Amino acid sequence: MSQLVLQNVFKRYENKKIGRKKIVNDYAVKDLCLHCEEGEFVGILGPSGCGKTTTLRMVAGLEDITQGDIFIGDRKINNLHPKDRNIGLAFEDYALYPPMNVYDNIAFNLRAKNLAEADIKKEVMRIAPLMKVEDLLEHSPAGLSGGQKQRVNIARALVRKPKVLLLDEPLSHLDGKMRQVLRMEIKRLHKEIQCTTIIVTHDQLEAMSLADRIAIMKDGQLQQFGTPLEIYDNPVNEFVASFIGEPPMNITKVKITKTNGHLFFYFPMCDLSIAVPTKYESVLKEGMEVKMGVRPTDLFVVDMTAMGSVTQVGVFENLGDERRISIEVGEDEYLTLITTDERRYKVGEQIKLAVNEEKTHVFDIDTGNRIKPKQ
Amino acid sequence: MVACSKSCIWELGGDNMTKKRLKIVGEVLRNVLLLIYATFALFPLIWMIIITFKSDAEMYNTLFIFKPTLINYQEVLINSQDYVKAFIDNIIVSGGAVIISVIVGVPAAYALARFNFKGKEDLAFTILSFKFAPEILVILPLFMIYQKLGLYDTYFGLIWVYQLISLPLLIWVLRGYFEDISVEVEQAAQLDGYTWYQVFWKILLPLIKPGLVASGLLAFIFAWNSFTFPLLLSGFNIQTVTVASLRYIASDTVHYGQMAVAATVAALPEVILALLIQKHLVRGLSFGAVKG
Amino acid sequence: MANIKLRNITKTFGKIKALDQVNLEIKDKEFFVLFGPAGAGKTTILKTIAGIEFPDDGHVIFNDDIVNLVEPAKRNVSMVFENYALYPHLNVFDNIASPMRSPLYKKDEEYINKQIVKVTSTMKIDHLLERLPSQLSNGQRQRVALGRSLVRDPNVFLMDEPLAHLDAKLRHHMRTELKAMQTQLDTTTIYVTHDYMEALSLGDRIAIINEGKIEQIGTGDEVYYTPKNLFVAKLVGEPEINTFKGELAEVNQKVKMKVLNQIHLFDLELDVEQELKKHHSQHVIVGIRGLNVSYSFVKKDDTQIEGSVYSFEPIGNKTILIVKIGDELIRTIAPNDLQVDIDQKIFIEFDFKNAMFFDMDTEELLVRHNQEEIIKEVL
Repeated sequence: MSQLVLQNVFKRYENKKIGRKKIVNDYAVKDLCLHCEEGEFVGILGPSGCGKTTTLRMVAGLEDITQGDIFIGDRKINNLHPKDRNIGLAFEDYALYPPMNVYDNIAFNLRAKNLAEADIKKEVMRIAPLMKVEDLLEHSPAGLSGGQKQRVNIARALVRKPKVLLLDEPLSHLDGKMRQVLRMEIKRLHKEIQCTTIIVTHDQLEAMSLADRIAIMKDGQLQQFGTPLEIYDNPVNEFVASFIGEPPMNITKVKITKTNGHLFFYFPMCDLSIAVPTKYESVLKEGMEVKMGVRPTDLFVVDMTAMGSVTQVGVFENLGDERRISIEVGEDEYLTLITTDERRYKVGEQIKLAVNEEKTHVFDIDTGNRIKPKQ
Repeated sequence: MVACSKSCIWELGGDNMTKKRLKIVGEVLRNVLLLIYATFALFPLIWMIIITFKSDAEMYNTLFIFKPTLINYQEVLINSQDYVKAFIDNIIVSGGAVIISVIVGVPAAYALARFNFKGKEDLAFTILSFKFAPEILVILPLFMIYQKLGLYDTYFGLIWVYQLISLPLLIWVLRGYFEDISVEVEQAAQLDGYTWYQVFWKILLPLIKPGLVASGLLAFIFAWNSFTFPLLLSGFNIQTVTVASLRYIASDTVHYGQMAVAATVAALPEVILALLIQKHLVRGLSFGAVKG
Repeated sequence: MANIKLRNITKTFGKIKALDQVNLEIKDKEFFVLFGPAGAGKTTILKTIAGIEFPDDGHVIFNDDIVNLVEPAKRNVSMVFENYALYPHLNVFDNIASPMRSPLYKKDEEYINKQIVKVTSTMKIDHLLERLPSQLSNGQRQRVALGRSLVRDPNVFLMDEPLAHLDAKLRHHMRTELKAMQTQLDTTTIYVTHDYMEALSLGDRIAIINEGKIEQIGTGDEVYYTPKNLFVAKLVGEPEINTFKGELAEVNQKVKMKVLNQIHLFDLELDVEQELKKHHSQHVIVGIRGLNVSYSFVKKDDTQIEGSVYSFEPIGNKTILIVKIGDELIRTIAPNDLQVDIDQKIFIEFDFKNAMFFDMDTEELLVRHNQEEIIKEVL
């Protein structure tokens, strides 16, 4: 296994000419710098079109790099043929060779390198148990379930002992149960082989549960690169904050008001005030318009005697494990809070809200960047 | 061409400059090949149009330098009445055949697309198989049957036999179009309060229009160009332009100029129709109706 | 308004029995949820009620009238299809206007305009009125389909997975919206979903369907706290309920339970003990939810069971810990900043007060502690 380093990588797709004019495409990937440690499991996460698959394809060698460098270990791999880069790639849609059985599919790579049959068998039998496919070696791909195909896919990528393993949305075609099972398997596999792994996905749950660090991308640019907890608790901007976490963070436009010397987040549409955490008092001023971000699990119902104004329950949902209360704060805009408290609320019931001071964020209304409290 | 040049780039380990140069070479080569093919394909047609303007005397002379004359046109279109009659007969027979095919084919295609009944695929295949059989193969028995039934040399007879040409095409294309329309769209319309017939006219027909137009046009072209059937199943009262063109092979000489006129004029309706219908061939109308 | 009954509905497609003797009664103005895995028969039930599928056997009854032979158009039913079924050649405005322009339910253009403005602004699609379905995203198409359904004033709304193809954020938003709209709808609604959160949140009552048969009909609480059988218990809740075998043994006149090859015998609550004694069962299946399982890295006493961490999934506001004990995998919930390694030793404690006990053979619920009270308390 090796480090994987991307230095100032740009990608722009070659454009077509219409008439005499050449259309200039925007960059698909802009100035991407990523440093993945040896043996690290990195997730590249983002909505469709953000550049994550393009990045993966550049690392694999299926796309040229417009500008910048990519290193695996000490080697610059910009112009190397995919087969010379020593990477293992597991495609999103398995792409198993239909006429061959599972054994031959996995062995395909090794046969192309002209390894002796005895050696091939040794390698395949080493990998098969890791992905739990040793019983499937005689089967043909057509008879396998989605989960089994994906395991064979990954086994095939691993058999050539790659320095870096690339996984392209490996769980997207599987149903709920299969996804859970395969998530566990991939996590255990990683612990076992400690291979530098990059997983590309649009599912934040997948990235959070598997990766050591996550790189979130939007419109070709890296937004944040950190551990799942870092990104969850300290998102650098509105986009990251709303993308990570299910259910999504409540992000609403508010005005800062002052009452009795204390600052409040004020929601004009429903006349609701929530006390501003003390750490923001120095950076926020009365009259400012900002966006308040607080996760549903960090919003609470408090005693009627606490600070802040009274509001009404808009929607109450009882979901077995937890309960959700939504308060209408705008035209079709809600503040949702989640609680494990057993108490049931009725629509229209009066309640008071408070936020977890530690976990409340404030975002600039124009740039979307987080406004940091003065330490 | 471009694909192999890309892998060449990998082998050479070239940088961006070499890649660009190789790409340009690839493009030029591709355009040259296309040009050669275009010339090859179009030249006979251009030649034919040229000889319509050449007098018999100059026929075997040089290619492009000659004195243009309209005498051929005069001969074919004005002097003899036969050609014009053949032209009109062809319109009646081909047009009629296509109209009948549409009236029969659209419901048939719908039935094949939507319903399940015993022997459905066999029936569908049988209909398609009409197109497999070479016309020559079936012409003799047909000739005898037609004589017995009194259908020889009638409009009805020709229109009926032309169904072998136009119907399979329409059914197969339209079946595909109907199958592409998810059945839920019809059900939604029913629930909205429309009767089945309204659903058919308002929802289904607009959606199969491109298919209908395209296959209708193709069916018309096949029917218009048909030679074997009109040659042997009609001859005196009804002559199509294809058969009529044979006249210009006289016992002593072939009147190439006049024959060329016959052919050119015969081709006109198809070309005009195709050009007119272009805008109805808009694809992708059913995209977005259902998820995916 | 309509009270809808299905009596002994059976429907077969070729060799597959899609619906098997289905009996349902949906009260007037009720928001009734049909919940179950893919292929269970939920869509078939909706289509049978709408009249676009015909049952092989049984009756569909609207307000005491058997409507089996009534055409779909005349049943006055409004349906949202799972794959939208929008008219591809009409723009958004005409799509939504379509039901109000049909011969059966015709309204004048002024009314149509007003209705469309109202519905599209709620659905946030009022800026898309001129577009064709092919020019919309999946989420927008789904809202157009919902809009086309909501402009009607039908006997019943039938909704087939209306939120299925929306991204997570939009789904949450629309679910909250739908719940807010519920009271305004004021019409019998039958809602199909395979997402248990939607079912619990929106349904006045939920019917759980598996392979064409109804497993249980009840309120969200009934289904969550007293699932009729193992299938229902597994369907509701995230992470999925933990299940493992329990062996009962009588020690000094008391019935105790042995689980997961542990030597220690666990005590049972009195009411549970009595019920299990009645059934003369020796083996049961124990079901216990993740939030009723606690863990620690240090063994405190014999009630804790040793295992190893098989995997862990930090999913934002919590971490799901998957612990291997023998051959079984037990899931429990931990805080999101938990630091743990795979294969690390860990100790699990079960809160059997909140466990459910199922019959080994029939997989039906035998008993849970406080079975009667827990529902009454909650209601």
